[in-house]
Amino acid sequence: MDRGQNTGGLMSSAGLVRYFDSEDSNAILINPKTVIATGVMVGVLVQLLTFVS
Amino acid sequence: MGWKEAAEPVLTRMPAVQRPEGHVPFKRKLTWTAGILVLYFFLTNIGLFGMESGAGDDLFGEFRAVLAGEQGSLMQVGIGPIVTASIVMQLLGGANLLGLDTDDPRDQVLYQGLQKLLVIVMTALTALPMVFAGGFLPPQQSLTLGGFTFDQTQIQALMFTQIFIGGVLILYMDEVVSKWGVGSGIGLFIIAGVSQKLVTGFIQPAEGGFFYDWYRIFTGQVEVGSLVAGDGLYTLLLQDGHIIALFTTLLIFGIVVYAESVRVEIPLSHARVKGARGRFPVKLIYASVLPMILVRALQANVQFIGQILNRQTGDASTIALLGRELPWLGVYDSQGQPVSGFFYYTAPIYSPNDWMWWTGEVAQQAWMVMIRISVDLTFMVIGGAIFAIFWVETTNMGPEATARQIQNSGMQIPGFRQNVGVIEKVMERYIPQVTVIGGALVGILAVWANMLGTIGAVTGTGLLLAVSITYKLYEEIAEEQMMEMHPMMRQMFGKE
Repeated sequence: MDRGQNTGGLMSSAGLVRYFDSEDSNAILINPKTVIATGVMVGVLVQLLTFVS
Repeated sequence: MGWKEAAEPVLTRMPAVQRPEGHVPFKRKLTWTAGILVLYFFLTNIGLFGMESGAGDDLFGEFRAVLAGEQGSLMQVGIGPIVTASIVMQLLGGANLLGLDTDDPRDQVLYQGLQKLLVIVMTALTALPMVFAGGFLPPQQSLTLGGFTFDQTQIQALMFTQIFIGGVLILYMDEVVSKWGVGSGIGLFIIAGVSQKLVTGFIQPAEGGFFYDWYRIFTGQVEVGSLVAGDGLYTLLLQDGHIIALFTTLLIFGIVVYAESVRVEIPLSHARVKGARGRFPVKLIYASVLPMILVRALQANVQFIGQILNRQTGDASTIALLGRELPWLGVYDSQGQPVSGFFYYTAPIYSPNDWMWWTGEVAQQAWMVMIRISVDLTFMVIGGAIFAIFWVETTNMGPEATARQIQNSGMQIPGFRQNVGVIEKVMERYIPQVTVIGGALVGILAVWANMLGTIGAVTGTGLLLAVSITYKLYEEIAEEQMMEMHPMMRQMFGKE
């Protein structure tokens, strides 16, 4: 019960960016796997371009 | 029509990472966190396409430890834009200029959207001077790709695009960790950077590595002068011996872990269930060390302006605006460090060599050093306190919000009437005072650690952040595990 700070909304431990539970139905939703895949792809692409040039 | 209605179509459509449906098992959470961490390290090792490799100075300079990322890589901007955007949000929110009520679901969506939009704008604003101000990320002389030759401006545009994509990726990586993993991405990236620097500072087999330097002392490669005369002591304590740096690093660890446990506990008892008791802790580092990032980032942004102005002037060592030299604004040495003027006095102390004027390492007069130290200290203490207050207000840790939470959970303070106003009055006795003292204390600690130096030059703020984020992470993991073992606990913590 002594975790009063954690209740309202979802607080991340660094909390610089705040995410709330509510979401708008208009929002474009991204699958977390897409984020990781995009990251890997961008990295590989940039590295390939560096090799090719 | 207020700004809310006008901005709503844009802000509500900002792409967001899906939220997991239901409970995510702890192991899966760890996997997501580890995956993002690996991706982050992978991206810090990808050099920018079109950049002259190994050249250029880091615009972030000494702030790199706090702002994460890596010079010349896709992660060039690190969490800089997120922090800057957060400062703007904090100031707007703290001064209540936004008119957003974070308890209202519609306003929450707007808040999230505005926050994201600001980060993206800040990423562009940070990347622009890095690429185009010259000297920070020098482009290659020529670049041919598939028979097409790029000119300098096109290469710069390419680099800008990559940095911008990297910056947006960081934002979404943070969101993935926040929603699917443990802790937050920002915390993770800071710990990753600081730990990497710390380990390197200990074991790198080159000058500056703690163990390597001691090896050189023992094998006589380093001349340790007479211990009695003082110069030997100086070498051992502050230079190749790193003894003071080691002690500062360990002491900061100890102080942070100790201070995390220093708290005022307000007893609570359940209004209906007799015997159900609890405590509400008001921690000394109540607002935690995070507001410190904001204060440091503010200092960093002032220094960035100086660096960019200096680059515009070319080789001249004095900042010139519209053809007039302005020595009061800033004079820079050949390494691009400010040596006098406004930008010198507002630069934080990074290491013992910045202020120990009696060792002869400092080019400035003692009084100039004194002014710089007092400016840094004042800025950190007052800034720390102010941002801690804003932090508490905007993250719903203030007296009013906590009183409501306690009331809603059915608890009351024994001996007081069960009423939100009454609980708030009691909370008001502790929270504001503890917040201000904690914020100021953390400010002093950060400056003090920087003055004495730290292993691997992680800076006091970096170390404070890394230790306290790790501690928070540990608490969070412990809580997760408890919930794994007792599914009932999930309902108690309200996470289902």
